[in-house]
Amino acid sequence: MDDIRIVLGSLRYKTSTDTDLSIPTPLVQNSKNLQEFDRSIDVNLAQLYDDERQKSTTFRPVCKFQLLYENAYTGSTNYPPLENNLYYINENVSLLQQCNASAGAIAWQGFPQYHEFDFVRSDYNVSGYTQPPNNHINFVSRSASTYNWNFFVSYPYKNSYTKVLQYYDGMSSTGKQWVVSDGIPFVIKKTDTFIKGNKVIRFVCPVKHGLSVSEFAKIKIVVNGVITTNDTFQVFALGDGMPGTDEYVFNIYDIGYSSGKFISGYNGTFKRIINYENPNDTTSKYYVLQHKLLTNVNDAVMVNAGFEQNIFGSKKKFESPAYTPNNNKRVSIKEGAQSYSLSFNKDIDVSPLRDNQKRPITELYITTLWKGYFGLTLGDSSLKQGYEFNLPLSPLKFPSDWWVSTNTSSNFVNENNQPYPLGTYQNPLGVKPSGQLIDFKYVLSLNEGDVVDGGIYEWNDYEQKERIISDISHKFTFNSFVFDISKTDAKENQLGYYYQPHNKMKLRDYSDYIETGSVNNMADVPDYSYFSTTYNALIWRDLYSYGFKDNSGNGVDHPFLNGKHYPYGNFIFRIIPEGTNYIESSLHNYATLYGAAQPTNDDCE
Amino acid sequence: MQLFTERLNQQTTIVNNNSYKFTLPKGDDKYINIPIEIKWDFLGQDDAVEEYQQNVVEEVVGFPGDFEVLRFAHAPYSSDTKTDIKYDFHFFGINGGVPANPSTQVLTSTASNWVTSYIPEGFTNIEVYYYVKPFTKSFFKLDFYDSTDAITQTNYFTVILPVQQGFTVTAMTSSYKSPINIKTPSFQLDYVGDKEGFFLYWLRNTKFLNISKFYMTAKFFDARLGVFVKMMNRPQSSLVGNKFKFNPEDYFYYEVRLNYTEKTYEVWDNISGTSNRRGTSIPIKWYEYINP
Repeated sequence: MDDIRIVLGSLRYKTSTDTDLSIPTPLVQNSKNLQEFDRSIDVNLAQLYDDERQKSTTFRPVCKFQLLYENAYTGSTNYPPLENNLYYINENVSLLQQCNASAGAIAWQGFPQYHEFDFVRSDYNVSGYTQPPNNHINFVSRSASTYNWNFFVSYPYKNSYTKVLQYYDGMSSTGKQWVVSDGIPFVIKKTDTFIKGNKVIRFVCPVKHGLSVSEFAKIKIVVNGVITTNDTFQVFALGDGMPGTDEYVFNIYDIGYSSGKFISGYNGTFKRIINYENPNDTTSKYYVLQHKLLTNVNDAVMVNAGFEQNIFGSKKKFESPAYTPNNNKRVSIKEGAQSYSLSFNKDIDVSPLRDNQKRPITELYITTLWKGYFGLTLGDSSLKQGYEFNLPLSPLKFPSDWWVSTNTSSNFVNENNQPYPLGTYQNPLGVKPSGQLIDFKYVLSLNEGDVVDGGIYEWNDYEQKERIISDISHKFTFNSFVFDISKTDAKENQLGYYYQPHNKMKLRDYSDYIETGSVNNMADVPDYSYFSTTYNALIWRDLYSYGFKDNSGNGVDHPFLNGKHYPYGNFIFRIIPEGTNYIESSLHNYATLYGAAQPTNDDCE
Repeated sequence: MQLFTERLNQQTTIVNNNSYKFTLPKGDDKYINIPIEIKWDFLGQDDAVEEYQQNVVEEVVGFPGDFEVLRFAHAPYSSDTKTDIKYDFHFFGINGGVPANPSTQVLTSTASNWVTSYIPEGFTNIEVYYYVKPFTKSFFKLDFYDSTDAITQTNYFTVILPVQQGFTVTAMTSSYKSPINIKTPSFQLDYVGDKEGFFLYWLRNTKFLNISKFYMTAKFFDARLGVFVKMMNRPQSSLVGNKFKFNPEDYFYYEVRLNYTEKTYEVWDNISGTSNRRGTSIPIKWYEYINP
């Protein structure tokens, strides 16, 4: 601009006249004016809180356990430290017997005390058991909460499709094995059955089949090693007409199949198919979920939950000195009622983790494992694992063959299907009748990164949904050299206790709708989407943001503070005596196979 | 980039401008683009604004800090087999009873005048045995400071030891009655049993306060009189010369060392000039301080 010289018009040349000159100088710029709302921001605390909340991927799980335990098995022992610390029964008899025999000859009877199963042992100061002289072990206070149980955080890590499972077929009185990836097992119960005038073929399953009417089942039947049926059939009806059987029984229309195709008593497996025209997309997959541990034993902080007790109360009694083998008076506890709080010293950052479906982590599990350091258990059999259909007793009221110690399929195993090792120690006071020392066995502590089995699940790509078929249960039995309950069958298959090790803690929720995205526009498609040949598009379920709940109640609203999420779980942990009071037994199909689930017909009906 | 455009409506020769000479064609407007160099780039300006916004907001309202606490337990000892911590509180008494004139009597006292008993503090065996309110409302108060300098120190947290905890000793309430067991101010705290005051709870994140060493003082709140009784780490009788003139930094504190990795703490003293761990087989000893 400085170099522009403006000359008066009349001075330009001789005859020129003055004219108006204009020099338009448009100022063109590419810079953008900042808008008011860009230049200033309202500090909105709620918005800021939400931004931080959505951004955080770190969790501090906290939970409360109510321990429900029924001390069910009485037994006898000659091992002095334990014998002197039972909750006695028949003490009069034992006392009289002891009068006429040497002290070591009589095995006193009773229940092991509640401490043996409690989350936090409180028998730290019992002379002759946890304190010298002649004690079982030297009690280490720091281990009070890890002697019996160990607590971990785990996440759904991967699927195992090769697990061999077994259910008991009441019709043939035999155990039937199958590989989990084959689907859900069944037994054909009747072939001359009619529903609304239509002849059907009935399939009875030991677990919930997950089928709906008009869906399809790809049925595979193997007879004497030969596949006789491997076809897809449409589900015609559910149930056998009795209450509660819809989830365990399905029927297909019998169009007049050849007589040898579906015979009552045949067993096999099926897979659910939603659309038979597109089986690749809509056939369910079946697997055992495997959990990976995210913490170590010492990361868990297990403490009494204030003064909270469960509603059943504790059961104690005074043991009069005259009626104890060592003439000591004390109070013995059969059952306790304390609740416990569990937290972890370690933060769980889920951002680098993916679940068993390669999706972001939306669930953590509090995994509780029996350790049994005091060695009253696990002597005859290691820690075992099984599923709902393995829990009911056989007709002879003994555990099913699945739990036999020699069955390697029921071992508590690692990622490579190898049993987790047991630790062993001895005490000079513990002597077998043969004169050898008793091996007191316990489960060696697992570590971060170890993998343990979980429940059986069904996954359907078309639905993008996972369904639990059966939770896993662990079982432990007494070491008969230490505490003999004399409740075994010919295979020394002993009654024991079982518990469910995994308690789910929801971190986020997936939407109840399915999103679709074109393959030509991948901008907003999450990396965990699935290409559906039915939709010819990528499909997935959205992740709800933290704090959002839909109309169905899906979603989470955990406290968020310190830049971390604090999910909370309120769990009931049951240690269940085998064969007693099983919650599902009345509807369980295994029982149905026996007819036990059939409601009693009485005059009212 | 900023552009400057000049437009002339007349056909003329433009004056030489920066050594450029242009001849404008007839009839058409001519634009001269003059680039003016600037040193910054407007690309990504919005992102920069957002980034700046975040910084400003963080400066104004702070950022999500982690104020969660960790549970620190007493570090194991005796080959990792024991974890208990022991405190012995000694009260000044004459012949096991309440001193009549403590500030005078302390001048001629010996270490044996300080005993682990509530009786010299003024409680009776009956009051202790029957848990009367003045007794049960009394407590020991452990304060944790960041330094021993009484002027600049900050008390970061406090631990209360209730009198309902502790060992018992045999005592008599009457010559006609059987001996009874009453509480003494001698504590053994652990994961099990008496555990109130066993754990220290302190920030797990060292970003705000990176303190791994605290200095612990002790007081006894006497609910009978409504007063605090200050405690020293050795009996006043052991002081050479004036019993009331000493360096408080040496006599009122124990050192508490936190281990953030193991989540444990240890208590150390420097009474003998060399640092020794206390609270293990050798209890942490506190002695009533007598004011002049």
